[in-house]
Amino acid sequence: MSPNLDHSKIARSKIDASLETQSILVTCGTGGVGKTTVSAALAVRAACLGKKAVVITIDPAKRLATSLGLSDIGDQATDLTPALNAILLQKGQAPVPDSGSLHAIMPDTRETFEGFIRSLTSNEAVAKRVIQNPIFQIFSREFSGSNEYMAMQRLLGLHREKQFDLIILDTPPSRNTLALLDAPKLLARFFDERLIRWLVLPANKLVSAGMRKALGLLEKLTGAAFMSHLFEFASALFEVRVQFSANLSKITDLLSERTTSFLLVAAPSRDTAPDAVHFVQTVQEHQFHFEGMIVNRRLSHLGPVQSQMISDAPLPHQKEALDVLAGLQAREEAAMADLGKRLESFASNQQHSRPLCLSLPELARDVHSLSDLVEISRAFETFNPA
Amino acid sequence: MTPKNSLQEALSKSLIFVAGKGGVGKTCVSQAIARALASQTTGRDRRKKRVLWVTFEDPFRPAGELKEIQPNLFELNCEAQTAFEEYTSMKIGIPSLTRILVQNSLVRYLAKAAPGIHELVLLGKVWYERTRWDHVVCDMPSTGYGLAMFQSTSNFADLFRGGPIHSDAESMLESFNNPKECSQLIVSLPEEMPLRESIELNDFLLKLFPKNRPAFLVNRRFPHSNELKRTELPDAWSSPLAHSPTEYVEKRAVLEAFNLRIWSDLGISFSELPYIKPTSLEVSSNRIPESIVNALSEVLRRQEVLPS
Repeated sequence: MSPNLDHSKIARSKIDASLETQSILVTCGTGGVGKTTVSAALAVRAACLGKKAVVITIDPAKRLATSLGLSDIGDQATDLTPALNAILLQKGQAPVPDSGSLHAIMPDTRETFEGFIRSLTSNEAVAKRVIQNPIFQIFSREFSGSNEYMAMQRLLGLHREKQFDLIILDTPPSRNTLALLDAPKLLARFFDERLIRWLVLPANKLVSAGMRKALGLLEKLTGAAFMSHLFEFASALFEVRVQFSANLSKITDLLSERTTSFLLVAAPSRDTAPDAVHFVQTVQEHQFHFEGMIVNRRLSHLGPVQSQMISDAPLPHQKEALDVLAGLQAREEAAMADLGKRLESFASNQQHSRPLCLSLPELARDVHSLSDLVEISRAFETFNPA
Repeated sequence: MTPKNSLQEALSKSLIFVAGKGGVGKTCVSQAIARALASQTTGRDRRKKRVLWVTFEDPFRPAGELKEIQPNLFELNCEAQTAFEEYTSMKIGIPSLTRILVQNSLVRYLAKAAPGIHELVLLGKVWYERTRWDHVVCDMPSTGYGLAMFQSTSNFADLFRGGPIHSDAESMLESFNNPKECSQLIVSLPEEMPLRESIELNDFLLKLFPKNRPAFLVNRRFPHSNELKRTELPDAWSSPLAHSPTEYVEKRAVLEAFNLRIWSDLGISFSELPYIKPTSLEVSSNRIPESIVNALSEVLRRQEVLPS
């Protein structure tokens, strides 16, 4: 397994079949595993394989732009193909085939959310009422958890435009890798017709005394102004509920399609295998397709830490550092063995072919350039030959 | 006495928020802090400190229950529904009325679906607990969600004008802004993205709580010499990869020192915690690697950063 990349022609990797057959790849994973970098490298690789690839990342921290060495990427697709070709030329590698291209998008969440509300109604007055409502204003702020839903909304739009062969959706960072899958359900609660109806009925029509009493208590706690904002917000939502539900089922359908796949990106640690199992189960409960996992930041390519190296190290901190590294490698090995066993048993229980399990190396520096992304895209083949 | 550094200052408060990007080790660090504090005594009678460690809506822990994990150290997985019920019963006072409210399907729906209420009651619970313990140490959700919790408290202070929630939200904000009561500890790794994100987090927190400067801590620092002679730039290396263990640890030392300039160039002073060598593939039921947390808590004691 030599990570030296001097051959100009791209060799086959285990990931290539997915890049060639799927139209949507959703990458999930907890913070710090390198999800954005991996997603961008997948898009680079797909472009080199002749696909029109776009990577879309919902991330207030602008990680994608940084890892591409750009100061900013906008809400509209930025064409990175010429830049990529320049780098491939520099490295003596074959250029992107004519059929291929590389684009990147970082959606503006707020704008998209407003656009979404407008798309639900042709009545501008209704849209305005929602958008100007203080509750909506809070809701649509970047940090309010609507990011996941908007990511999928954008995905739906891009898919319809058919400009790209492969869309790679880098999901927002979260502790729970599955926040994305639950987002539509969470938002759907908002539009729950049985309940929202209570809020849009005029107060004197509230037949149930219990309901009247409960709302009265709520008003005491929250103040009258909030309640009137809430009623107004609810009545505006009520008008768009049907379109919302229709939209939601379109998203669910798109995610259930056989050409949409979920990839879990992880770093090797004690949580890798248990998290993977949990992820696979949830993806299956939603009847989505689990494509496999990418274990990023692996240390195995360095070769084992020999005791000779530790004793030869001239300074105490170097000995210590090698010792820590040895511990990390041992833990990685145990984590990978555990993971292998669990994926194997998943496959045999489901009478399913064994899901992909790919590795990528830990890098010695942070990624700041398309050039490093090209190296990672090639590491797919050196670390995971087909 | 004057505190040795900003970490010691931060750890002396009754309410300690441990914040930062996902994956930087907030859970381990906050646990280590809680354990170290719980090993201390306080007051004239030298009684053991009582410490509460709080995490928010961890799907892998039982929700809403207080659990003693070692003598004087309790754990709470704070959960919105429970916190909401507790809060309303406190506010309304009359059990039968409280039941009408919290069992009402529409109210339950609003508590779940309405943006911000969720975050507000979670922080409200922590705020309420702060006077009942010597220290409350909070393992905050990662940056975005963590900020959302503070942001929504601030938003709701406006939105609920005229009701009791409004005045509670205001008092909460006042406490969080008060450096005598509360501290924010921003944890990062010596990696570029978390270091940069931590600066945004700092700016954001300062906007919300201008009187209470966060303290900074870098976790998982690889063993290194303090006089690093090499001044090369990682971006100048021909390959992003290292090819042997020795090359990796050398490059890593250079990279970490290089990355930490993101903080030092801004004049940020920070404390460090070392990379603890993992001893095994510990998989414990509470998802906390005991040996690492204990080692970190030992380091904190040795660094003499605990309040005196």
